[in-house]
Amino acid sequence: MDFPYGKAPLSILILALLSGAVLMAVAAMSREEGKPDLVFATFVKEQAEAYKPAIEQFEKDNHVKIQVQVVSQQALNDRLQASLQAGADVPDMVELLYGTMGTFTKGPLADVGFADLTDRVKQEGLDQRLVSSRFVMWSSRGHIFALPHDVHPVMLVYRRDLVEQLGIDVNKLTTWDEFCRVGRDIVTKDLDGDGVPDRYMLDLPSDGSDSLRLLLLQRGVSVFNSKGEVTFDDERAVDVVCWYVRQTQGPKKISVTCGWGQTLSRAMIDGRCLFYICPDWRTMQIQADIPSLSGKLAVMPLPAWEPGGLRTSTWGGCGLAITKQCKNPDLAWKLAMYLYYDPNQLGKRFKATNILPPLKEAWSQPEISEPRAFYSGQAIGKLYAALAPQVPTEIITAHNAAAVGRLSEAFTNSCLYYQDHGDDGLRDYVRSELKRCADKMREIIARNRFLNPQADGAKLQTSLNDEHGSIREAASGQMREGDVQ
Amino acid sequence: MTSVPTMSASTETTATSRASFEHGGGGWKLRTKAAPYLFLLPYFVVAAVFFVYPLAYAKKLAFYQTNGPRSRIYVGLDNFKYILTDSDFHLALWNTTFFTICSIFLQLPLSLGLAMLLNTRRGRLKAIFRLAIFAPNLVGQVFVGILFSMLFTPRYGVFNRLLQELIGWGIEQQWLTNPSLVMPAVVIAALWMYVGFNMIYFLAALQNVDQSLIEAARIDGAGPWQLFLNVTIPAIAPVATFVVVTSTIGSFQLFELPYALLQQFNSNRGFGPKNSGMTVVGYLFQQGFVSGDLGMAAAVGWLITIIILIVSLIQIRISSKVGSHK
Amino acid sequence: MNFPQWLNLLHRINPLQWFMISLAMFFLILLPISRRVAVGYARYTLLTVVGAIMLIPFAWLVCASFKDTSVLNEYSFLPPIKEISSATINLDSFRTLFTQRETVQGPVTFWRYIANSIFLASAGTMLSMFFSSMGGYALAKFKFRGRTPILTFMLASMTIPGIVLLAPNFEVIWRLGWLDSYKALLVPACVSVFGIFLYRQAMLMVPDDLIEAGRIDGCGEFRIYMNLVMPLVRPMTGAFCLITFLGTWNSFLAPNIYLQSQNKLPLPVVLNQYIGEYTQQYGVFLAGTLIAIIPPALLFLALQKEFISGLTSGAVKQ
Repeated sequence: MDFPYGKAPLSILILALLSGAVLMAVAAMSREEGKPDLVFATFVKEQAEAYKPAIEQFEKDNHVKIQVQVVSQQALNDRLQASLQAGADVPDMVELLYGTMGTFTKGPLADVGFADLTDRVKQEGLDQRLVSSRFVMWSSRGHIFALPHDVHPVMLVYRRDLVEQLGIDVNKLTTWDEFCRVGRDIVTKDLDGDGVPDRYMLDLPSDGSDSLRLLLLQRGVSVFNSKGEVTFDDERAVDVVCWYVRQTQGPKKISVTCGWGQTLSRAMIDGRCLFYICPDWRTMQIQADIPSLSGKLAVMPLPAWEPGGLRTSTWGGCGLAITKQCKNPDLAWKLAMYLYYDPNQLGKRFKATNILPPLKEAWSQPEISEPRAFYSGQAIGKLYAALAPQVPTEIITAHNAAAVGRLSEAFTNSCLYYQDHGDDGLRDYVRSELKRCADKMREIIARNRFLNPQADGAKLQTSLNDEHGSIREAASGQMREGDVQ
Repeated sequence: MTSVPTMSASTETTATSRASFEHGGGGWKLRTKAAPYLFLLPYFVVAAVFFVYPLAYAKKLAFYQTNGPRSRIYVGLDNFKYILTDSDFHLALWNTTFFTICSIFLQLPLSLGLAMLLNTRRGRLKAIFRLAIFAPNLVGQVFVGILFSMLFTPRYGVFNRLLQELIGWGIEQQWLTNPSLVMPAVVIAALWMYVGFNMIYFLAALQNVDQSLIEAARIDGAGPWQLFLNVTIPAIAPVATFVVVTSTIGSFQLFELPYALLQQFNSNRGFGPKNSGMTVVGYLFQQGFVSGDLGMAAAVGWLITIIILIVSLIQIRISSKVGSHK
Repeated sequence: MNFPQWLNLLHRINPLQWFMISLAMFFLILLPISRRVAVGYARYTLLTVVGAIMLIPFAWLVCASFKDTSVLNEYSFLPPIKEISSATINLDSFRTLFTQRETVQGPVTFWRYIANSIFLASAGTMLSMFFSSMGGYALAKFKFRGRTPILTFMLASMTIPGIVLLAPNFEVIWRLGWLDSYKALLVPACVSVFGIFLYRQAMLMVPDDLIEAGRIDGCGEFRIYMNLVMPLVRPMTGAFCLITFLGTWNSFLAPNIYLQSQNKLPLPVVLNQYIGEYTQQYGVFLAGTLIAIIPPALLFLALQKEFISGLTSGAVKQ
């Protein structure tokens, strides 16, 4: 009989049946594996691989089974947020990207889907043994919801070969002023005479983004203060934004945008810029992506904003949270301690990832002070560790994403102003823009009735699942809001 | 609503079927009466569970500030008040309108032009051209977004390089980081992607134009321009209406393309510098899934729905007026 | 020597520009000779240029997925013949793509994701075709109480962006216990309002006498639909299958949110994972994209004719 829908749909039908049968057969064959005791989800593939030997050891020692899931960051965040809210199955332990914790803590404390780790941290003395500022980005209202994986101090990586050729002494580049002075000489040197600068001094994204934020942090300006209020309309922020605008726009700029991934690799190989902002995690990326630059790179501390000032900042981070649904929180805590803060693991791990652990006692591991041939024989671990204790504190609240957006808006408008008017009135314009955007942010923050329950006497309703907990927590959360570290 | 294509053809149908029932048996009648409901049953079930219920739920949510389904606070019209005064929403509305205008006044004429170029009776190469022009539709919006984020790279991106080769400008253009170039970049990517799809609709319509009408007009001495205005346009008007309405609805729902195009490098950044690539659905996504306030998302959703309804009603009204003039 | 200014300008024109200029010149020369030939020439030139523009990203995609990542940005397309070697052109990206990966659900290869995508897209297309055509038939060929309100409701529902319902739907799916199951993707999409409309338009063309004749012959209503009506709207079926298959094949947002196990994911979600937060494996992503284009391209080639005539008979007729 003729298939009434035509030939092509018939073939699609056959395809559906065939692939369905194959998938069912595969599913039937692999139904053997037992249920794991813990499920551990992360978004960083390299980290999952680096954990593998440690996790195998842990499984053997404790006679348990651990599953490690690698999920894309966006997917992890979307699913986790949705699942935590809907009460669906979630992993027992989750690694989170910095900046995302805020989205999980924007409601009443009782609604946070992660276990409160404050007491456990105090018991183990972790607040003393770690770079303590790193707990802040994983806390809300004084409660710690995740363990910091890293410190991520920031340095500059530079093309040592080219810098030496040009006769630059990096030891003299101690302030950004000096750095820009030297930079302007480099940029104006046009060797092949085609009117286009051959080399730029620094890789700075012209849209601000993370680089602007880390330079602000270096200057002592955080997007939020410890009370969760917006503070980026500070006079020092005006300085930094003006500086950033001048270095990335117009004829006197010393920087250019080199982008990410292969584009960045290309630029580094070409020597398009001499210096690149480089937190510890980036050193491994460079090493893996551009093996041909081995021995031609070196790192140095950031130039300071004023003589004797802070010579580092921080960029990025990752934290480990234990979900409330976890059936075996003690085992999860044990695994967390073993993975994150066992000095014997951390030396090896540093060698594999170049990420400096926040645990101070681990910095004496031999692998940290090993010289690296790729970085011209520098012991980069030691150099990063030397800066780690001074890393500025970054405060992240529920409104982080929105605030960063507003900051970037102020920055972009400043760039447009500079393109049209030059230096004329730039400072005043930047100041008013930062103020306008910060005020807008304050308005948004004031709207959040979970964090400001008495904002206008709104009636708090909670769902059927937990009738009274949220109300009480929301009210007490308001009181505790003042004592974030 | 009744002016939508073909809704009027129904009365005759029933007249005939009723007539025929009179000499049929009673059993038939019953079965025939129940049949349409049975045929539509799957739709009723799916629509009730996955459309009506969530919609009713979303309507309720719009008046609450929420933190997921677990806690919510009644805020009355506050969400709507905030959205309507938020500069980001204004930007999103403007961007979406800009995109819609571009797709109607730039993309559709181009599609029509291409369809007319392809609408010859001769030509063996036709199938190849058709495939080439339709090919971008084989790729999803997310792929196109990521693909174009690479093509638009300053200095190294193929788009920038070709622009430089062709008109001697553009190698260093920062399409995705200069706020005033972000929407044009989105429009270019969308143009590449959708021009072929709408071309197929126009092509289908053009092939259906009565050839004898064209011959008659030719004999009357009509030039190509007059032919186009007086014969082709009226003949494809219903298709054009359909395409304009669906493109408008599609444009208002634009989200995945700018999201993938601009989101690649930094999950915190949102829709490009200064959110310059924000669309209304992107705004909804940001409020609902990035900030996690489903109440706000529901409120935005209702506003979008109302806007789309009004715009498509206006379009249908205009096109039916234009149609009745002819 | 002192060149005049305009000669200098001439010197700056590159080969590509020369080529475009000569194409235009040729047309201008042809125009007075024979209008007909000139118009034909212009038509094909324009089509070729447009076709080439549309295919450039694909050409780039093909080149990029075979290029070694170290030279991905070095050349626009392929490296010059002198420099072609296994260091610049190789199958590394494909090899990485097809390497078996350890996941929570055990080792998974890329074939599994391809199978997932094929199943989701083909099963989804079949379900949607079946149920939507039934709905379309009911609305085209029956007069019944509530028909106009249903049509109005459907039309209005088409304007609501799917994402508006994503959040509340997540809860529905969770309550049904369908998270991390293909049911969450297949069932909500198994009747498409768009499809019902397309089929309704196509079926209005089917003569009523035929259906009456079927009834008199004693056919059941379902058999009339299946054996008499559906064969007559085959072009529409072809067009609808193609559109639905493309949509499901490329869908990203819903599987990204509803599916959780790595071994159940379809291609777009898996490929997107290669563009991660800390590492972007563009080469692998592009190689995967190239593979992901093949099935829908084959389907399009197979259904090309039906696609166009289907649209002619469907949506757009009055």
